[in-house]
Amino acid sequence: MDATLPAATTALAAAGTVQIDALGVMGPYRSRSRVPLTSVSGAPIGEISQVPALYVRRTLAAMRAAPVVPADERLAAMERAADVFATATIGGFDPDGYVELVSTASGVPRAVVRQSVEWITDVLRSQREVLELARPTGAVGDWRDGRTYAGSAVWARRGDLFAVHAAGNTPAVHGLWPEALALGYKVVVRPSSREPYTAFRLVTALREAGFPPATITLLPTDHGVADVIIGESDFAIVYGGQDVVDKYGAIPTVLPQGPGRSKILVTADVDWREKIDLIAGSVSHLGGTACTCTTAVLVEGDPAPLAEALAQRLGRIPSLPADDPQAILTVQPTASVVEIDRYLHRIAGNARPLLGGDTIVDELPGGGAVLRPAVHLVDSATAPQLGVELPFPCVWIGPWRPSDGLAPLRDTLVLTAMTTRGELIDALLDDPTITNVYVGDHPTTWLRPGVPHDGYLADVLMRTKGMIRSA
Amino acid sequence: MSTTVLDLPEPGRPPSDLDPQEYLAALMRWHFSTETGSAFWLRRVRGLEFDPIADVRTFDDLRLFPNVVDEFRDVPVEDLIPRGLTGADRAIAGVYESGGTTGRPKRFVMFDRWMEFALGWDEAHYTPLGQANVLAVAPSGPHMFGEFARRRARRHDGVLFSVDLDPRWIKALLGRGDTEESERYVAHVVDQAAHVLRTQTVGVLITTPPLLERLSRHDDLVEIIRKDVRYICWSGAHLDADTRDLFRDELFPGIPLKGLYGSTTILGMSRERDVERADGLAAFDPPSPYIAFRVVDPATGDDVADEQRGQVVMNHLTKYALIPNNLERDHALRIAPPPGWLGASVADVGPVATFADSPVIEGVY
Repeated sequence: MDATLPAATTALAAAGTVQIDALGVMGPYRSRSRVPLTSVSGAPIGEISQVPALYVRRTLAAMRAAPVVPADERLAAMERAADVFATATIGGFDPDGYVELVSTASGVPRAVVRQSVEWITDVLRSQREVLELARPTGAVGDWRDGRTYAGSAVWARRGDLFAVHAAGNTPAVHGLWPEALALGYKVVVRPSSREPYTAFRLVTALREAGFPPATITLLPTDHGVADVIIGESDFAIVYGGQDVVDKYGAIPTVLPQGPGRSKILVTADVDWREKIDLIAGSVSHLGGTACTCTTAVLVEGDPAPLAEALAQRLGRIPSLPADDPQAILTVQPTASVVEIDRYLHRIAGNARPLLGGDTIVDELPGGGAVLRPAVHLVDSATAPQLGVELPFPCVWIGPWRPSDGLAPLRDTLVLTAMTTRGELIDALLDDPTITNVYVGDHPTTWLRPGVPHDGYLADVLMRTKGMIRSA
Repeated sequence: MSTTVLDLPEPGRPPSDLDPQEYLAALMRWHFSTETGSAFWLRRVRGLEFDPIADVRTFDDLRLFPNVVDEFRDVPVEDLIPRGLTGADRAIAGVYESGGTTGRPKRFVMFDRWMEFALGWDEAHYTPLGQANVLAVAPSGPHMFGEFARRRARRHDGVLFSVDLDPRWIKALLGRGDTEESERYVAHVVDQAAHVLRTQTVGVLITTPPLLERLSRHDDLVEIIRKDVRYICWSGAHLDADTRDLFRDELFPGIPLKGLYGSTTILGMSRERDVERADGLAAFDPPSPYIAFRVVDPATGDDVADEQRGQVVMNHLTKYALIPNNLERDHALRIAPPPGWLGASVADVGPVATFADSPVIEGVY
């Protein structure tokens, strides 16, 4: 990949002229209230509109009034949207320019952005298959199916409007909600103010591919108005920290996407030495910014050798600007990185640092700082640090014995169990706080469209209805 | 003592050729002379570290006064009546209370002549309307707003339909975080307003921006307002430029939407300026010299420059009352007043700007 920037993009971004407007039912809408968009080095990129509650309510009302696009048309449009998203020039940005812009704005390495783009593209292309996989085998997708003559279940939507309160730490967050659109929901996306470009590009691509504006909108807002979007929609997916999980956890129509606290367990019957690269990859994948990145590794036996080997692997990753093609680590404004470093020191307490113990801040000459990986060893499976997830490759290694039971493994988005013990795998699958169980040589960051990430969205958005009809 | 300079102009006529210094001097003599001043001020002056008659020469000198409005929570209202008021000047329209959002309410005496003048401050906006009924979805009760609405209806040979909004109850609900109950209360208010709109002909609608937004959620009410209402007066809450645009361009095109920015502590309102600002914000001019604003840096108390934000300081300066140097909770953009006016005009009035996007460290999103 050429390391030089596409000239047009750089000039546009450098001049600070990018405008992210709302994409409403009647077309683009630029509000008078706007906030600056900046890069991680602090350079101005442009402005993003902040639409008022009145605009939100009117938009949502118009979306509710709009007809649902028939299933076949939806799925065909999503396949077309995949091509548009991957290849088109949107808002003045060709695919390379878009990747560059996201990297500059969010500090996510270019290679990571490209991976995310591929993931979103895959998701869009595979919705036909995903819906087949998610639908109960007793249900037909369309009441016109002949099975309803004899009586069967019909798969039906529980609501009409689906809201997305997105995050800007990785474009991959936009890989979940297309399933709602495929199911026939109308989707309103409230983009991140740090990285709204992926949401803008995806919503535009879906519209260019044939989705009417009233079925997919982009409404940039402040946090107060974002609550209006969430409150007025039938269902919402909300990205955030533990605070978001606490705020929305009790509301059954909100699906919070908070800290994943993903973990790897290595039992004594498995030799971790062959897996160390896989474990390191689980920690550093996507620059450590995803909820699927490994936060803790629990080892039956002495965890120190694994921790040392992991520190060695992760320590080799170079510090590079986010737009460098070889970059793996995330870049953030230096002040933010310093704050995270301070927080890490406080939370680390008596954990033994094997990497990043002095500092994780590595300032770049061109502005911003790299978040260097951190590896800490704790002395107990119940150490509270094992649940601390930070937005960079930060991993806690601790001991685990069968007598510790499942408690240290709970509250986990993805648990990779490197084990051959069938009963243990049974127990992990039975635990309601462990969302996904990967067994053997699979990183916690493994994803494939059609294999659920937090259940199928359809688990929440759809229900079955009984139907029988006469010919 | 000649007090003619303190007399209000005839209805519809501007206070012409008033020399601000002469006016302030006469005002100080009025309020701090034994024959004409109120019991409150004649008592209160003994605690001042300056002599108002000798030392208050200019508008800036009003900063010498302490903010006394907190004392209006307890003072008997008779003590607020200037002794020099006689005859028609002495006729009282009512005693009105502040919202009571910061503790117990403060009481103010509203005199009839002043109220008629204050009501007429934005008369030019209403002149073309002719006969019209008024619907006020706004605080009545102990608040001055309801009486202003009643008098507005009378000026249009119409009747007043009134739906009470109890701001103290809403604040109490919000103060304890009971958003569900406050939503139910607002829905209750909107239902009552909807009933009036659906059954009566309303030419002038007076309400707050949030209630106008609530009314706008009902398509049938939007249709009725478009058909019947010829003027919408808003007050009592912040209205951002984008929402203002949407009201004027999309929801109620062609219907004048004009604001009043006032407070019980000034016994009146400033009127929305007819000249549009480029930023789409409503600008407000108070009736100088009777009501005058300044906008100050909350940290230093100094005036901010034009087009800068600060905290609003209000002054009521008439022979009916003296309420100087009152720091309000509102923040606003200071804008240049019309030439020759005291103090400042304001725009973008609202609560202190808050920035919701605070950094959260733990977690990846």
